[in-house]
Amino acid sequence: MPTQTPPRPIIGTPVRPYRRGVQNAILGGVCGGLAIRLGIKERVVRIIFCLLALVSGVGFLLYMILWLGVARADEPEAIAQRLVGRHRQLNRIAIGIVAIVAIFFFLQFLGMPDLGVFTWPIFLTLLGAVGIWRGASPEELVHLGEFAKSAPFLGAAASKSRGSFWLRLALGAILIFFGLRILRHLGGVWGLATPAFFGTLVLIGGVLVLLAPWWLATLNDLTGERRERVRIEERANVAAHLHDSVLQTLTLIERAAGDEAAVVRLARNQERELRQWLFSPDGSTDASSFLGDLRALEDEIENDYGVRIELVVVGDCVSDEHVTALVAAGREAAINAARWSGADLVSIYAEVEESTLSLFVRDQGSGFDPETVPADRQGIALSIRQRVTQRGGTVTLKSTLGAGTEVQLVLPRTS
Amino acid sequence: MQPRVFLVDDHELIRTGIRSELSGSLDIIGEADEVQAAIEIILERRPDVVLLDVHMPDGGGLAVLRAVTDLAPEVRFLALSVSDASEDVISVIRAGARGYVTKNISGPDLLDAIYRVAAGDAVFSPRLAGFVLDAFSLEGRHLEAGDVDPDLDLLTPRERQVLRLIARGYSYRDIATELAISAKTVESHVSSVLRKLQLSNRHQLSNWASQRHLN
Repeated sequence: MPTQTPPRPIIGTPVRPYRRGVQNAILGGVCGGLAIRLGIKERVVRIIFCLLALVSGVGFLLYMILWLGVARADEPEAIAQRLVGRHRQLNRIAIGIVAIVAIFFFLQFLGMPDLGVFTWPIFLTLLGAVGIWRGASPEELVHLGEFAKSAPFLGAAASKSRGSFWLRLALGAILIFFGLRILRHLGGVWGLATPAFFGTLVLIGGVLVLLAPWWLATLNDLTGERRERVRIEERANVAAHLHDSVLQTLTLIERAAGDEAAVVRLARNQERELRQWLFSPDGSTDASSFLGDLRALEDEIENDYGVRIELVVVGDCVSDEHVTALVAAGREAAINAARWSGADLVSIYAEVEESTLSLFVRDQGSGFDPETVPADRQGIALSIRQRVTQRGGTVTLKSTLGAGTEVQLVLPRTS
Repeated sequence: MQPRVFLVDDHELIRTGIRSELSGSLDIIGEADEVQAAIEIILERRPDVVLLDVHMPDGGGLAVLRAVTDLAPEVRFLALSVSDASEDVISVIRAGARGYVTKNISGPDLLDAIYRVAAGDAVFSPRLAGFVLDAFSLEGRHLEAGDVDPDLDLLTPRERQVLRLIARGYSYRDIATELAISAKTVESHVSSVLRKLQLSNRHQLSNWASQRHLN
């Protein structure tokens, strides 16, 4: 659980527990958090740490240990805990540590002098930096990325505020201090080309390790920002669509709550619309294909007659004269079924094959005897027949009293 | 004996609806609303039939199927979904579900489907039949003759006929009457389609799936 601590120190009042600061953090929030914990000013803690850093680098080491070992105020676990929790990360870091130690001993072997009393603090600090880079939470990385943008190292985003000026000055001083110490060592005692070369390499390596997290965090920050923007746009689209469709329908349903048939119709319409939107993402249901025509037909009949249509389509093709005629005939058949059969479900099955188009319209309603069809329904049957046979197709009508009706339409394809 | 049924669906309303509709006719031994819990409880209680939602967070019904089928092959799955995405449905069937029905299926039909699955039969809704026909017809159309083991990968004319009738809205009994065969034979045709679907070359069906995406 995130622990509640005040964002700023309350001077004179120590606050438990110790958490790294978030709002008063410059780098890792170690000093800010300590100030809150002890109830003293942040500046005092920071000055103490800087002084400690000059004493054999103890300040660095202490800062790293606290950074790794203490949880951020708004996070449940410390970076070290998180690293230990992730075994793969841990392996990688262990390999890194072994490599760095190996290089170190190799340099010792070559006669490379140690960097004085600072050697171990610096190496351990570098290791700590790697650990933080791998284990910090996204929020903290974002914070570090922001810090990097205003940090003096990268120069690009040198801000003009007085705070960053002092920061730059302090860091510059520390670096120069180390540089001088190293050079004094090399020049005074060893004065050889090889160790100097390796010393420079180590220095460059150290600087790279120090800068890489900043640089990468900034990079990540940028790509993350871009991704976030795309996501927000996408979300806005979805929201707009849901508003125009689902929300409107829900309002309509609330209003029509008493009218069962209307509610069912609205719900079904919305369901169908939403499905098409969800499952044909590129909006490929334009009415210029067989499938598109049939979907439109499904819509129309469900709307106008309040029956459910079970539409199954195998294959698809571009709409042409034959497709249009077949769908029109199917429409008549489906309307017939919806109107007269008394069934609440009409199955429509369509299949596109190499040389033929077929369409089956079936209900499990009352059925009828084709011989004794009333005149007004015969007209429709005729119009179905005409549309299809005119173009070289066949119509089969199967109906059993009490068991339903099926109209089978088969038409050759034009091409 | 009533089949012991387990419900997996991340929507409380759907589970409640199914439970209230079926509880008298089935022995509902538990339910789960997420993949991990579902896997654990199914392995522990070994139901006869699992009613499985296709779309869930953390891998969906597919993840449950993959985890359970090897360890408990006797547990049978019936996929239940609102999905219209044929790839999702086909992949669940290929992972071992014995059928697929849509969520707007009526209570009695669902009950019938569950009993059928419990008895080891396959349950094909019209929509699933359509998906399967689509999958196999595309496969046949786009492959060279030498590529396919015809016995395994393509449907026989009779199987195709049965699938078409299912897609047209025929019940198994209607199909038996229509083709003048016994209901048992219809069932064996459907089961054999299911088997082909599950065994057929992975590569070809994924071809089909990617084509669906392109269209």
